[in-house]
Amino acid sequence: MRTQRVESSSFNALFREALSRWQEEVVQLDLVDPVTTEMVRLRCAEHHDCHT
Amino acid sequence: MARSTSQFFDEVLGERAGVKKELANVHDLAWDVVDKALLSLCKLRIAMILGCDEEVESARQYLDLSKADAIAQWSSSNFFTDREKSCLRFTEEFIIDVSSIPDASAVAVKDHLGEEGFVTFVNALLVVEQRIRLLLVWSKLVGSTGT
Repeated sequence: MRTQRVESSSFNALFREALSRWQEEVVQLDLVDPVTTEMVRLRCAEHHDCHT
Repeated sequence: MARSTSQFFDEVLGERAGVKKELANVHDLAWDVVDKALLSLCKLRIAMILGCDEEVESARQYLDLSKADAIAQWSSSNFFTDREKSCLRFTEEFIIDVSSIPDASAVAVKDHLGEEGFVTFVNALLVVEQRIRLLLVWSKLVGSTGT
């Protein structure tokens, strides 16, 4: 884990919601099998130090 | 006839209307919430580093050409403000190795944009970067935009 760089990760609500909707649409795609999808997701999350 | 990147994405995504709509929406919003000139500079640098000629041309049209021409030498150029330099440094590090961005680079951007501005900038950068990477990969798979 890296140094925390911001006290709050809040930002423009419209933009934040749009990002969430985009990600929700992407994870609903089903052309890649669930195991591969999850492996890629975990690898990306680790690389980005993302804990969500 | 040449297609724009948006038209190309529409064609590639086809009937996946939800993804198509939300990608377009989040991309539009990224340009609404960050200073367009600043994000254009960073987009140009991303496109140059990733080798995306279409998006290099797209970004250049919104920039002062002397500044666009000098962007590869931004760190030693007098064309760029400290704010722009801090964002360009962060952008390069974000593109090349997102897991190794030094704290100093993040702090410098935060000092110029404020805390919320910094978080917004990083998310906008993510949208712009991912869209260019998608363009590059899909162009290889299904053919270029023709631009």
